[in-house]
Amino acid sequence: MKKITVTDILLLLLSLALCIGIKVIFHACGPKEDGGFMACHWAEQAVFAASIGMAGVSCIRLLLSRREKAGAALAVAVMAAVTAFLPGVFIRLCMMQEMRCHAVMRPAVLLLCIAVAAAGVTDFVLSRKDDRHDA
Amino acid sequence: MMHNLALRNLRARSLRTAILIALTALLSLTICGGTLLVSGLQRGLGSLEARLGADIMVVPYEARTKSNLETIVLQGNPGYFYMDRSRYEKIAGTEGIAQISAQFYLASASSGCCSIPVQIIGFDPETDFTVTPWMKRSYEGTLQNGDIVVGNDLNAFPGDTLQFYGVECHVAAKLEKTGTYYDSAVFTNEETIVSLIQSSLDKGMNDFADTDPAKAVSAVLINVADGYSPEEVMNDINIHVKKVKAVQTKEMIAGIAGSLQGTSDVIGLLIAAVWVLGLVILLLTFSMQMNERRREFAVMRVVGMSRRSLAWLVMQEALLSGACGAVIGTAAALIGMLSFRSAIGAQIGLPFLLPGTAGTAGLALGAVMAVMLSGAAAAACTAYRISQIDTARILRGDNG
Repeated sequence: MKKITVTDILLLLLSLALCIGIKVIFHACGPKEDGGFMACHWAEQAVFAASIGMAGVSCIRLLLSRREKAGAALAVAVMAAVTAFLPGVFIRLCMMQEMRCHAVMRPAVLLLCIAVAAAGVTDFVLSRKDDRHDA
Repeated sequence: MMHNLALRNLRARSLRTAILIALTALLSLTICGGTLLVSGLQRGLGSLEARLGADIMVVPYEARTKSNLETIVLQGNPGYFYMDRSRYEKIAGTEGIAQISAQFYLASASSGCCSIPVQIIGFDPETDFTVTPWMKRSYEGTLQNGDIVVGNDLNAFPGDTLQFYGVECHVAAKLEKTGTYYDSAVFTNEETIVSLIQSSLDKGMNDFADTDPAKAVSAVLINVADGYSPEEVMNDINIHVKKVKAVQTKEMIAGIAGSLQGTSDVIGLLIAAVWVLGLVILLLTFSMQMNERRREFAVMRVVGMSRRSLAWLVMQEALLSGACGAVIGTAAALIGMLSFRSAIGAQIGLPFLLPGTAGTAGLALGAVMAVMLSGAAAAACTAYRISQIDTARILRGDNG
């Protein structure tokens, strides 16, 4: 049976938190009066799509060998680093800083992505250490 | 050597160390976060006082009933009201006025980028004494027709072009942060605002009822001359000028200052309660730890460690775990407060302006030091008792 470590679970939980949170807790601004969406809505969608990818990879990782898991962890970390820049850098947000996309969505996505990236890199480093130890 | 021993002791008892770190982290999180919150509220109020800059504000009488004037002035919630310029002329004739200037409020329609209307404030640069002094810090030039100055929270920068009611406006400057609703407002001169009004009327997006928009003003700001009291001038206007309501800005601030004081007191009490609770728990933890490690300390004494070194070892363990927890807690408070400052400000509904970099760093350092000193003080009692232990009795198994 594959050994499941704390970082494996952490990576999966954080990815899921980003995936669910972006739609439920720290979502972007609501639709306009005319029913149309603002730019930040598309940033939310992009983060949602990326977080599904991260959660998927974090889940599949549990079935892989230690070396493969380390590589996948690094991939999730890179995905998280890119996702952190989706709202506000790659996709523009609303005009006012006090609006929900700036005040809530952007900082929450940034913090969670940093946490995912940190967990991924930690997992990778620990796996390399174990490899060296075994050798 | 001793430092190394303290570290090894902490590592060997990872659960106990984790609990100590979590406890001190909670303490520093509360102190740093709470102090930042109170400081942000106080700075916000100070900033608002500085920005209002007038003794008296005169608005059309219906503004007093239409919506709460304090909400409009303090939070900028769009509540738009207009009166004929002739009333401005009448008010200007009142005795005891040193400075007088009119302002015009207009809400932008939802533009392509966002669904929240932006408040546009039109002022007369020749008579203005409230916006201009503050604007001068960011913009030295004179506003031309079509120029606007944007608040700090708007994602627009000098050189950008913004469109309101189809009129393209050139961003001349961006103002510094105030923590008030001015941060999300747009300022412009009278000519520009008249063209915006005209455009809004052409598009059927505004209704000024029986008021001629070209001759309308929203509010009149007054500074009282020396030798007159604001109350005197305010009463004079309220009695002699019909259909207007004059209010003292200090009265509006007094209301918010009262609620702010209440909020600050509650936060202060909570900080004190958590601090006392944390200190008691720390004292208990160290005390229990001493009982649990009596034999260990006795053995250390037998192998030659002096009473002083033993006490210092306990202090070192407390200082190391305390420093670790204090840094984690303070970092968490800083990350939370700085990242979500806009959301916190919006949630509180009061002017909110966090201290600058130096002020925040000072507060954070103070929180770390305070928590470390609290941990050290709690550990000092234990360290003293440890230095007094009777080695022979403990090793004989006689705990009495």
